[in-house]
Order: sequence, then C-alpha cells, then structure tokens
Amino acid sequence: MRPALCVNCKTERALIKRPKNHEKLCKACFIAVFEDEVHHTITSSRLFSPGEKVAIGASGGKDSTVLASVLKTLNERHNYGLELVLLSIDEGIKGYRDDSLETVKRNAVQYEMPLKVVGYDELYGGEDQVVETIGKKGNCTYCGVFRRQALDRGAKMLGIKHVVTGHNADDVAETVLMNLLRGDLARLSRSTSIVTGDSRSEVKRSKPLKYSYEKEIVLYAHHKKLDYFSTECIYSPEAFRGSARGLIKQLERVRPTAILDIVRSGEDMARLVPGESKPSCACKGQAPGALASAEDDIGGCGSQNGRTPGNEMAAMDKRLRENEAHEGLEIDVAKAMSESKTGSERQRELPIRGGHGDSKPRQVLGNCKRCGYMSSQDICQACMLLEGLNKNRAQIQI
Amino acid sequence: MTDSKSAAGDCFTKFIATKCIKQIGILGKETRPPPSTTGGPPTGTRRYLLGLSLGVSSTVLLHLLNENVEFQLAKGRNAPFDLTVVHVDTSPQPPSSSTTSHTQTAAETALAAYRARYPRFAFHCIPLSSSSSSTSTSTSTTTTSSTTTAAALLQGATTSAASRSDILRTLTRRALISAARAHTCQALLLGHSTTALAELTLAEAAKGRGFALPWLVHDGPAPAPAPAVGGGVGVGAGVGDGDVDRSSLGLRGNGDGEGEVGAGTGSLEDAGAGASANGGGEGSDVDDLTVLVYHPLRDALRKELVTYASLVSPPLTDLIPPDHPHKTKNGDAPPAAAVVSHKDLSIEEVMTRYFAEVEASYPSVVANVARTTGKLVRAGGTEGCALCGMPLDEDGDERWRGELGIQKETATSGVGGTGGRLCYGCERSTGA
Repeated sequence: MRPALCVNCKTERALIKRPKNHEKLCKACFIAVFEDEVHHTITSSRLFSPGEKVAIGASGGKDSTVLASVLKTLNERHNYGLELVLLSIDEGIKGYRDDSLETVKRNAVQYEMPLKVVGYDELYGGEDQVVETIGKKGNCTYCGVFRRQALDRGAKMLGIKHVVTGHNADDVAETVLMNLLRGDLARLSRSTSIVTGDSRSEVKRSKPLKYSYEKEIVLYAHHKKLDYFSTECIYSPEAFRGSARGLIKQLERVRPTAILDIVRSGEDMARLVPGESKPSCACKGQAPGALASAEDDIGGCGSQNGRTPGNEMAAMDKRLRENEAHEGLEIDVAKAMSESKTGSERQRELPIRGGHGDSKPRQVLGNCKRCGYMSSQDICQACMLLEGLNKNRAQIQI
Repeated sequence: MTDSKSAAGDCFTKFIATKCIKQIGILGKETRPPPSTTGGPPTGTRRYLLGLSLGVSSTVLLHLLNENVEFQLAKGRNAPFDLTVVHVDTSPQPPSSSTTSHTQTAAETALAAYRARYPRFAFHCIPLSSSSSSTSTSTSTTTTSSTTTAAALLQGATTSAASRSDILRTLTRRALISAARAHTCQALLLGHSTTALAELTLAEAAKGRGFALPWLVHDGPAPAPAPAVGGGVGVGAGVGDGDVDRSSLGLRGNGDGEGEVGAGTGSLEDAGAGASANGGGEGSDVDDLTVLVYHPLRDALRKELVTYASLVSPPLTDLIPPDHPHKTKNGDAPPAAAVVSHKDLSIEEVMTRYFAEVEASYPSVVANVARTTGKLVRAGGTEGCALCGMPLDEDGDERWRGELGIQKETATSGVGGTGGRLCYGCERSTGA
C-alpha cells in the first residue's frame, strides 16, 4: 500500500492525522497550519496592536510553552511588532514548582525573551504562613484565584497591560459545558470571550490558543521539539469541571469537531444571555471595548487543576432540592396583591426603594475595598480567601 | 402491605399527572380559541398533535392526556382538546411497490396496540425514509413530500453515526411540525422529560447549535417556515426531540453510511427542492399557521416516567415495542451496553449515558440544566436553516468563518443564496 500523501502539499508523506478534523498532513504542513490558525485567531480578533508589550503567562507546561513559541514565530513572521515577556508565578513552596520554573528559565533563553518571576511573598507581603497555605492548599479555587491575580499584578509591576494565557479549545469547551451543568449563565457568557478584563481594568487577558485543540498543542510541541515540563496535576479537578472534562473526551471520540462546536455554541449562547450582548471578537468593526470581566475568567488551568472536596455536584444537588422544597412554601405577595386589586379602585403603585423595580442590577465591576484589585464585589475573591486563611490560622494558634 | 404499596403508587401517579396537567393548563391558556366574530362565546376546540416515539416518555404523555380527557368527560364537560397522534417511522422502509400497505411495518404493528388502548384518538404513521412519495400512507401531501427529502438526505450525506442520528432527529421533528400544520393543530406536544431536555441542551451545544437552543428547549412557537423560494413548508422545524430521538437511535446499525460518502451538497439541493415542492402543493394558509411546541413532561425526570409507566394498570410498558431502545422491564434506567466503538455512537447516545448517571445521583442538577437553558433569549432573523428550520445566526457565522480552516464555503457554494442555507450544526452533519 502506498503511503498516504499530505492533503495540503500533496508531495510529502502524511505523518499526522489532525485531531481537529482527521486531515492527514505532513509534519511541515501541520506546523504551518497550526500557526496559521493561531494567526487567524489573533488577526480576526484584533488581539494585539503594534508596539504592544505582552506578557505570556508561563507555567512551563505544554500550553504556555507552545504559546510562547508560536507567538515568537508569528511576531517575527507577520511583524506584529510585539514586545514579548515571559511572566511566571512562583508559589514560593520548595519543591512545588521548582522543575517547571527551571523549564520557564530555559524557555526564556531559547526564545530570547525576558523573564519575570513573581513570588507570592512579593504580592502578599510578609505573611509567610498565608503564602505557604496558598501553596499547600493547591485546589482549584485557590490556585485559580491567586494565580490569576498574581499574573495581573506581576504584569502591572512590569508596566504591561496585556497578559496572554495558554488556555486551549478543550479548556474553553470544558468551561462551557461545566457552566451549563452548573446553570451559571453569567460565567458561561464571560468564559467564552477571547479577551477578558474590562476596558476600565488595567490589565486585559486573552487566550490566543482558544481554538487550538489540546492534542494538537501536544503534537506541535512534540514536532517542534519544544522544551516543556510535562506533568499532570495530581489533584482531581472540581467535580463539575471533572464531569464536563470526561464528557468532552467522549464527545471528541464520537466526533472530533465536537470541541470546536461546543466553543462555537458557547460563544453563540453568550450572546443569548439576557443583559449580555457583546461579540467575543472584534470582527464587523466592533471595538474590543466591552470585554468580559476578568475575575470570572475561564478558571481552571488545563491539566493543572487543584484538589477539591469533589462533592460539589452533590452539594449543589442538595441546595437545589432544598430550594425546590422551600418554593412550595413561598407566596408571591406582589402577585397576590396585584390580583386582589384588579377591582375598580386601583391603588397607586408605591415607589420601590432603589427605583429599579424588580430588575436587580447586574454585577458591576468595581474595585476591591481592601487591595484595589478589580472586583464585582466589595471585597475581591483573593481577599476573601486570605481572610478565611487568616481566620483558620488564628484558630490553630489558639 | 399491598394496600400501602398501591396507595403509594396512587400518590406517585397523581404526582406525575399534576406535573403534566399544569403544563397542559398553561398551553390551554396560550391556545384559547379566539372569541367568535359574532360576539358569542368562543367556538371551536383546541387541536393538538402528539409526537409519539413509542418510547416511555411519549407513551406516558399519551396516557396522561387520555386520562385528562376522560376526567373532563366524566365531569360532563367537553373534551379539552382534540388530539392527533403521529409516529414518525424512521426505520428503513422496504422499497414500496405500487400497492400500498401489503405488509405491516413494525411501527404499524406497535401502533395497533396503542389504537386498541386509546380508541379515542386518531393515530398516524409517517414513514420518514420512504423513498417514494406516491406510495406513502401518510395523510397529507406536506409530510409526504418531506419524506422524499428525508430519503435523499439519509442516503446522501450521513457518513457517521453522529451525523446520521442528528439528521434523523432533525427530519423527525420537521415531519412532526409539518404534520401539525397539515392537521391544523395549534400545538405539537413532545414527550421530553427534564432529563431529555438536559440531554438535548448539551447534545445540541456539542453539535454547534447553541444559537438555536432556546428555540428547541423552550415551550413556544416553532420558527416560522422559511420564506424560501416557492414558499417552502416542511422546513419549519428543528432538531432534537429527546423522545422521538429514541426511535431514530433504533436505526443505528441498520446499514452503515460508510459506502455512501460524499454527495453532501447534492442532497442539500434536494432538500431545497423538496421544500419548494411542498409550498406548491399546500395552500399558504397552512404555511402561516403558528404551531406551538410544548413539552408537558418537562418537570418530570425520565426515571420517574419509567416508574410511572410500570405503575399504571395495565402497565404502559406492555405497549412499548420490545426492540425499543428505551424499553425497560423493571423500571431501572436502561442498561447501558458496553461501548464497542465510539465511531458507532451518536452524540445523543453519549448524552443519554451521561445523564442517566447524573440523574441517578444528582437529579436536581439535571433539572437545573433545562431550567438554565430556559433563561436564554430566542434570537435570529427571519431566515431559517434549510434543513432544521432554526433561525440562522448571521453574526456568529460571519465571525466564525475561517476559524476552523476546514470550512471553505462548503455549504454556501452549492446552494448559495436561494434560501437553501444551512446552519452551522446542519453543515456539520451534512458535510463532515
């Protein structure tokens, strides 16, 4: 049997079956196609502007290593005019991130990019025990919230207003299904945008690999012989995320395009969420001004998720059931009243305090009262978590 | 012991019936006949069409509707609605000879048992894959010509189990809505349980139809028939009826589409042609009829319906054909056979397996999925997809084009501009 030829160049032998659509490609064509698609994403979403300083959130893992490599290649090939910097977070725990940080340091040399490593101690002051606890906690919530903030703050230290992360199509699809399962439309809407961070916020975040399959990222890293630290997170993911991840793997086996189809569905549904109407890319001339709030970014971190109790689905199920039980006991007073006054004498409507009637205002982005970081709550997630940690510590000391 | 057990059973059947009747009541208000022009009391009866897949959920719905009618009649009132029951037979039909109905299909045999048990209602069987429109036994020209389209599509473009199942669902739903229009019914009733709606939500999201989800999951009007060339009927529907789908799953394994690859765009043209032929045949008054699509069992879990079916006397499970994928004897969740090859699975089957597990442990999470989707708003212009009939998403398509690198004007090139455009999800199922 003659070996199949690459469907793209039709001269070389096909070596790679693309996970995305099962096209058979040769090595050179695969790398070219992969890069072209990222380039398309970048240009169609107008992610960058010439001369922009961009920090690459680098963990040493495959996603961020491929991101750094591809951005360097495209920046030179297409003259983006970007100033690329590697930004890495050091959780400050001995033996916890040493190996991956070493990888990032080598990447900095390989890609001739400056590297900035930001330590938690730098960000959260001298509270050693807190820093240590964050590192040890190692679960999705802590990992996600603190690393996200740490990237932003690190970027601010460097005077950089744009952080790119290695989130891939699998991550986005996973988040879409997870938020559908959790019934969280607000997050569904926000997590699909390629750029997050309000125009008011100081640092915007984007994910140029949003449409790249995890499997293709691995292939790209393999065939480009990239130097990355391959480790799977030892912790099981948060229950909803884990459930969604398992489902996506199955769907991908049934139909490889399903991952992208979910991303597409997620983007479309984001526009159908009441009160949210923004395209996730800058096509059709829309200025990339109305952006998703950054604090509800995609969350998770690819393969590096954290330990959680694992009972989130059960907890939510219980909560929902309790709500249902209570629903029967509720009486819609307003409705009952309006029904009772359908007679000839109509009472004057009393003004409702707040003036907005029944529509509760949507979350509005402000700043945390403690640390000044952007937040839609009075106190940002990181400060809330820190507070919890401090409380626990006090108890232990007693 | 037996007394208390049957008492508990009574309670449970009432519990399920209440959930259904509540939704029927809501629909009743929506379909209140207009006051007569002479100023008298409203005349005319509500007319509903029930899509019967011969699965558990739609059988339960049929039983509950029958109970409701009997209850009203026993009280000396008029029947609250007229019901027509339609089963879309998706099993491959033998090439019909010129003489019709010489052999009974499995579906006809099964329907006979339903007819005997519910003589009050009219039952129709529409063969979906009948290759010849002239020999179809269905009752209207509209549905007849849509079956021609169906045959063309099924023979043409379905290369994988996932695509095949998707197109069958789409055509089944389309045929049901056409049938509702042809019978001048105000509403199409579907047997979706909460679980089926959750499955539908995630399955359609996984097939790239997130934009159409509110049209598929909410109760409300079906999208208007596309004002395509020739005023096509038969395109006023969308994908996915979790229950009807059960029957389409039954087709899996019957003739793999592997040998019939290609011809994607060709069959799309057939779809357009079939649609316009419909428009010529029927009066436009039928086109204009708004059909509401309702899911009266949306508040009941599938496992609850399975239990209900076994509690009714005689059990409804006796009616359900033995080879039906969701036939269960003991009221347990359908036994999930070991997955031999993922290639032979459809996306719907993956979802069914997934939600069977979630339903067992976290039923409220299942219910919450359907509820959440209900909050999305319906959007879309007047133009509908030529296959599933769902509104097209102009903004999304424009933004997405090229994102894949594999979508090089696939569908638009063949059918372009003549009202034959496909939505993203249907492009996927017909072209991939």
